[in-house]
Amino acid sequence: MYGTLAIPQRALNALAEYVGDDDIDELRALARPLEGLRVLNLSVTGFGTGTASMLNSAIPLFTNLGLDCHWEVVRSSEDTLPVTRAMYQALAGTYVPWTREMTERWERYAAMNAGLLTEEFDIIVVHDPQPAAMRSYIDDGDGAKWLMHFHIDLSSAQEDVWRLLRPHLARYEAAVFEEESFGRADIGLPAHVVRPAIDPSNARNMPLPAEVIETVTCRYGIDCARPILCQVSPCDAASRLVEAIDVWAEVRRTHPGLQLVLLLMTDPQDPPARACYEEMARRAHEEPDVFVLSMGNDLGNTELNVLQRIAAVNMQRGLRKGYGLWISDALWKERPCVVAPEGGLTHQVIDRETGLVASSTGDFAGAVSRLLDEPAEAARMARRGHELVRREFMITRYLRDCLRVYGGLQRG
Amino acid sequence: MLGSVPTTPKSLEDYRPIIGDERTDEILRLGDQLRGARVLHVNATAFGGGVAEILGTMVPLMNDAGLDADWQVIKGADDFFNITKAMHNSLQGMYYDWTPEKRETWLDYNRMNAELFDGSYDFVIIHDPQPAPILSFLEQRTGERSGKWIWRCHIDLTDAQPPVWDLLRTYVERYDAAIFTLPDYVKDDLRGPQIFCVPPAIDPLSPKNMPLPAETVDQILERYSVDPRRPMITQISRFDPWKDPLGVIDVYRAVKAEVPDLQLVMVASMASDDPEAWDWYERTVRRAGEDYEIHVLSNLQGVGNLEVNAFQRAAKVVVQKSVREGFGLVVSEALWKARPVVAGNVGGIPLQIVNGKTGFLVNSTEECTEKVLFLLRNEKEAARMGERGAEYVRDNFLMTRYLRDYLRIFCQLSGREGAAPPHPIQAGRAPG
Repeated sequence: MYGTLAIPQRALNALAEYVGDDDIDELRALARPLEGLRVLNLSVTGFGTGTASMLNSAIPLFTNLGLDCHWEVVRSSEDTLPVTRAMYQALAGTYVPWTREMTERWERYAAMNAGLLTEEFDIIVVHDPQPAAMRSYIDDGDGAKWLMHFHIDLSSAQEDVWRLLRPHLARYEAAVFEEESFGRADIGLPAHVVRPAIDPSNARNMPLPAEVIETVTCRYGIDCARPILCQVSPCDAASRLVEAIDVWAEVRRTHPGLQLVLLLMTDPQDPPARACYEEMARRAHEEPDVFVLSMGNDLGNTELNVLQRIAAVNMQRGLRKGYGLWISDALWKERPCVVAPEGGLTHQVIDRETGLVASSTGDFAGAVSRLLDEPAEAARMARRGHELVRREFMITRYLRDCLRVYGGLQRG
Repeated sequence: MLGSVPTTPKSLEDYRPIIGDERTDEILRLGDQLRGARVLHVNATAFGGGVAEILGTMVPLMNDAGLDADWQVIKGADDFFNITKAMHNSLQGMYYDWTPEKRETWLDYNRMNAELFDGSYDFVIIHDPQPAPILSFLEQRTGERSGKWIWRCHIDLTDAQPPVWDLLRTYVERYDAAIFTLPDYVKDDLRGPQIFCVPPAIDPLSPKNMPLPAETVDQILERYSVDPRRPMITQISRFDPWKDPLGVIDVYRAVKAEVPDLQLVMVASMASDDPEAWDWYERTVRRAGEDYEIHVLSNLQGVGNLEVNAFQRAAKVVVQKSVREGFGLVVSEALWKARPVVAGNVGGIPLQIVNGKTGFLVNSTEECTEKVLFLLRNEKEAARMGERGAEYVRDNFLMTRYLRDYLRIFCQLSGREGAAPPHPIQAGRAPG
């Protein structure tokens, strides 16, 4: 049909060491009535995005639970990629000029992809807005129930693009949002909340041998003997990269030797990102203790894992939208965190419980200093952060929520 | 057939006002002798890179001169082009593990392209190493050779890795002639083809070099927040260690201590698949720091040929502080706009700059600073140098001279009268 992605074997039981046997048993009980359920997952890509990484973790586990899961990447082309991306940005709240040609191209590819759907399924889960319109080109007679799973925050979606998408959702059974506040009241569908989750055994989170940590830090000239302040974020204005440097500069006055690592998760060569990058690099100037790294060819999730793990403090100076789930990755490593009160960050960092919440550069500097100066308190918060992630942001909790939604759909 | 590349027609008469009657008429005379000669240029790519840029002008000009010229590109997939890219680097001195598999891939694609080769020509010019073995495979296939075959080498082979050059050489030796950019680039152990030296050239009518109204120049500067009323120096080149962008910023800082309202514009073209270039972009921007009088620009901000043209025209001094260079044709582009140039004394740059007359050749940051400051403080002398530079380019580095050289070589190879074959110009020769 489309680009079929192979689903590797993965044993759910291996996660028992992180979450305990009770959670695993509960999942198996929930999945029993859904055994053999044919579920098709549709997305625009099989790697490189948060959504794809979520699916890479979850789908093999659904299969292990006895569901008959499939994952297809819809057909696309050079001229649809910019449209896909623009739609994603517009729905996530960044303004993009939307043209009639874009609408035509979007609908043409949805119709074409709908024509490629030849097998029968019980449930079809659409994970990206780009294939959402396919539903409009498919008869009701095939019996599949369609579920729109949004992995973005729609609360400030661009009006014209949302109005374009909404009518195509009319024949879906239900929608899933990551948070109630990320949804839209006017969607006209039953809405469920499934928070995102992290995978403790993927490259971003798995325990690492000391040699790997040493190799990575050596490669970038980072000194593990001195404290490190780390921010992982997209390269955009809302991540406040310049202010992140200012926080570091202020804390360094009282903590000489403090290093700053800025790990950029999006390509800094995209036009809006490039301007942010330049402003940040100019502020960093030739400070040898400021390291700017961009994820790409030679730098991926293992490096992210290393840098969060060795950081004395992980920080999130700002966040545009959405969850900022990489903070859960940091908490899982029992690292102390300071975050801005934006998006889903405060669901992960509860102020003075699992980390600190700060707003101004001065507040951030104070919070970072406090965590550096009071290691016992910092460690206590980090431990509680780890526990919170285990309870609320584990892949097993995500599977459970999804199974409940699927079960509800099956019962009608 | 290989893929034929369409070109926009050009007229030699448009160049007559620039180069004068004598040079125009010489080309027309040579064209007459070669009237109807079928010429084929073959290279690896239709877009991007200096060779494609030159062919886009050269092929229509040959046609206008009376020849029947065509341009075709070879076919290949990613595996072939990855190998030829590495081969290109290793011919310029970088170490490369030249395995038998890579060699076979390179040859397989050439065999395939030789199969696709059809038509008969009086002159076939094969550009650069990628398609060089086509001639041998074609002869194997057809048992004969039609026309004269010329290998045009655009790269500096001085430090070529021996295993790669040794293999390439066996194919190049089959050619009737080989054209190198500089005498220094000719390999001593190349036997067989008749050797010519022809430097590259610029097109004075292209968007990068054509005259621009002063208002257009000002508008472009203002669009990038550069103040047209204050002095500006510029360097146009990739961000990489060989172009020394950090040294350029150091020069600017030292000069700015004396000339406080100075601005610096650095322009590079960034390829999205080149992580090293991004690394050097970061270093450059970090060296610049929060001095926003240093403008670090690239195609990512929409800077193209026209914008480069404007920045060169508006500059008080153009810097090309290379520490290693191929031919460095960007120097001729700046000189053609009558700008005084201060440039590194490396590669093909000394051929383009007559030191002290059409610009300055420098070997260090200090020397570069001193010369830039001198030119900023002596506007009259700077203007005179610029004018002499433009004349030197008119004599030596315009596309029409390059066309004439090709025509002379064709005449000589085919035993026509023609004129004396081109010879390499001498470094340091006064403008004539």
